[in-house]
Amino acid sequence: MKISTRVKFQPLIAALRAEPLTDRVPDELSGSYISDLLSDVLAHAKPGTLWLTIQTHRNVVSVAATKDIAAVLFTCGRKPGGEVIAEAEEEGIALLTTPLTTYEAAGTLWETGFR
Amino acid sequence: MHRAGAPLSDVNTSDARRISVAQVLVYELRVRDAMSKPPITAAPTDTLRAVQNLMKARRISGVPISDGDNLLGLISIEDIIRALDKGYIDDRVQQHMTRNVITLRDRFSLVRAVAEFDRHEFGRFPVLDGNDRLVGVLTRGDITGCLMQHLERRAEEALAHEAALRAEGVVDDAADRIVVRTHVRTGDYDSAGGVSQRMRQVLRDRGIDPEIRRRAAVVAYEAETNIIIHSLGGEITATIDPDKVCIEAVDVGPGIENVEQAMQEGWTTAGRLPRELGFGAGMGLPNIKRCSDNLTITSDNKHGTHLRSEIYIHKAGAPT
Repeated sequence: MKISTRVKFQPLIAALRAEPLTDRVPDELSGSYISDLLSDVLAHAKPGTLWLTIQTHRNVVSVAATKDIAAVLFTCGRKPGGEVIAEAEEEGIALLTTPLTTYEAAGTLWETGFR
Repeated sequence: MHRAGAPLSDVNTSDARRISVAQVLVYELRVRDAMSKPPITAAPTDTLRAVQNLMKARRISGVPISDGDNLLGLISIEDIIRALDKGYIDDRVQQHMTRNVITLRDRFSLVRAVAEFDRHEFGRFPVLDGNDRLVGVLTRGDITGCLMQHLERRAEEALAHEAALRAEGVVDDAADRIVVRTHVRTGDYDSAGGVSQRMRQVLRDRGIDPEIRRRAAVVAYEAETNIIIHSLGGEITATIDPDKVCIEAVDVGPGIENVEQAMQEGWTTAGRLPRELGFGAGMGLPNIKRCSDNLTITSDNKHGTHLRSEIYIHKAGAPT
């Protein structure tokens, strides 16, 4: 995960067949991190990144806010509850969901040249 | 009132360049803390005249129209005036109500609610919960009333807390010190991150280097989840000074059997539920250590665990 260039998010959303759950999504991303362990994300995720996870409870938003993560992509079609979405709106963190598995989503991102 | 339990105090001992308690409150308090509930509503089959009488009786200027807790529309005093003027006051509400009503969520902070009032110039907003159920109505008056009430309580708490600290000789009258403190309950995974969130806000408002802010937030978050997962309950305090942040987590037990072992990455004693939620990876204490400039942990089975982490604030570039 050594990405310094910023990448436009919109084309990635289309490639991932992702559905935004929050009103706003960031224009750009600085990289990505994949983990379902919150402490692992707290240890390794960089600010401004896209976080892929299957966890959907509200601590995902707390962790994302703690690390200034730009957007969270829930894989395997998972969706958090309305409370979690409302909290993400308030924290300014974008939430999206994709029907792809984490592996497929990562592969898709990689193929678009997002590295 | 706060998602991580009732804060004991937010103490602010400086007079200059401080964040006012009211400023902190509008971020902390939620729409659901201030809204009028249960909402006074009318049914779509009621007549406009019935709504007019309801407004008069309850001294309100707008009524959400609902089917149970399902919001369908809104009738405002302007709608009533128009009905009287045009002579259709005995029509049913459903023929004339505003259907695309702008709402607030009960979780929104008051600062966001105030922004919505400024943007839309409405006198009131119906409030929905996370499941789209109508749970209340918010007016500007509700916000003012709620702030006044909390300011008064907060002022009393701050004075009492400061007096207690002075008695212990803890207060050094350091300028710009802010203390954020919260009770943490065992197993309360839904509330994790309360102190961390408030601390981040203070650090952001002060323009502290984002990397330092993130390190402090990681320490506070991990320390808080440790209490939730492993202890019988405790308290977490973040003391924010101009030159450092000090995070203290104190619990009532049962204590860490072997601190050295617990500091090793991957070592965990967490049960199944926290692990399914993504906690308990055995990285909490190692994360805290990595993010701290100075860390001490004392633990025994009589007094529980006391963790103290310091993060130094040095002058840095502009925040990103």
